[in-house]
Amino acid sequence: MSGKEFFVSRYEKLGWKYENVKPRQAIRINVMNTKKADAIERLETLGIEFEKIPFLENGYWICRSKFSVGATSEYLLGLYSIQEAAAQIPATLFTELKDKIVLDACAAPGGKTVQLANLMQNTDAIIALEVRRQRLTALSNQLERCHVKNVIAYHLDARQVSRLNMKFDRILLDVPCSGNFVTDTQWFSRRTIKDVERNAKLQREILTEAAKVLKDDGEIAYSTCSLEPEENELNIDWAIKSLSLQVEKINCYGEKALTNIFGKQLDSSIESCRRIWPEKTQGFFVCKLKRRVDTL
Amino acid sequence: MKPLKDFVRQFDANISLDESLIVRKENRYFLLNEKLEKLVTKDFFYAGTYLGKIKHGKFFPSFSLLRMIAEKKANKIIVDKKTEWLFICGRDIFKQGIIKVMGSKRKGDYVLILNQHGECLGFGKILRSLDEEKEGVAVKNISDIGDFLRREA
Repeated sequence: MSGKEFFVSRYEKLGWKYENVKPRQAIRINVMNTKKADAIERLETLGIEFEKIPFLENGYWICRSKFSVGATSEYLLGLYSIQEAAAQIPATLFTELKDKIVLDACAAPGGKTVQLANLMQNTDAIIALEVRRQRLTALSNQLERCHVKNVIAYHLDARQVSRLNMKFDRILLDVPCSGNFVTDTQWFSRRTIKDVERNAKLQREILTEAAKVLKDDGEIAYSTCSLEPEENELNIDWAIKSLSLQVEKINCYGEKALTNIFGKQLDSSIESCRRIWPEKTQGFFVCKLKRRVDTL
Repeated sequence: MKPLKDFVRQFDANISLDESLIVRKENRYFLLNEKLEKLVTKDFFYAGTYLGKIKHGKFFPSFSLLRMIAEKKANKIIVDKKTEWLFICGRDIFKQGIIKVMGSKRKGDYVLILNQHGECLGFGKILRSLDEEKEGVAVKNISDIGDFLRREA
């Protein structure tokens, strides 16, 4: 079961009519390294045309640039990062980050890790994990370029985080996923439902381990750039039932997530998750989880 | 720590780092904050602020360390916008592109290269006295932040 027709018909059953959406390049100002107004002025001087992303504090869409925005002095000096708009949402969901120990469980290439460092004003501690060695090097380069000082990175599978013998106040689970057709033009010919199921299983294993190392009053932000419900609503429904987690209300861009998937009724709280169908951004899913109060 | 201190001295600079917060991982040095120092375990890959590495007995600084030196009194030159870009692309610095010199102008000395915003772009070696009127290449590029792009290639 694969191919464009197969997946598009699934999206229609979920209530969304397929449309080809072109990805828009976006940046995020690293406000720990520069004043936002200064960065904007410098980008304007370079002739880069951009537009504020209305649902993000420090995000801008690139409208026009004569050169790559990844090859300017300002980029190399860490004044901004290139980060897709929807991907800028998960790190902003945590309520309070001061004096917290944060886990970024699937960190490379590090866009969200740098964003967390910004939100934490480069203080306290982020533990960043990455299972693939080569991607860990990319993460390190990103941390150095963006002047990040509060991260310890480990070459470790997120499913083994309890080996660190630590408990975390905040856990970012931007889990490996099947991706979506907006950012991968070959997506429909590359992906099968088996891939989706395999990723969903891996995501459940990561969620299980994260629940073990979450402090009682801790928060998990879970996200994927997949449109497939197995990796999103169905996994969260499973986490509610199997891991004693509950969904928290969030206030961010996106639609209420689905509570009925192909006829299967899910926990009603799942509508507090956000499903982002491709339009202004790539496809995305995000939610916030906490321990269920009755289990504390 | 000696290689690091020796490197910093080449810029006629002095920075004080709390040695108890410096950790070494194989050939790489990192500076931690106090919270990280309590949490770090020996099998980390990267931690805190990367300071640089030793290779074949020679110290190679990180750009974070260069930034730290640039915050202090040290040999520095400020270059114009065009020279900034050429330097980032790996080119040497022509005398005409230098706007201001702080510290040594002596041939053979090391200098930090800053843009007009005072941001550190890398470092180089003075090829001939910066007092000389003669035009042409004045500072040899040794390391620049364009390296972040070259690492990805």
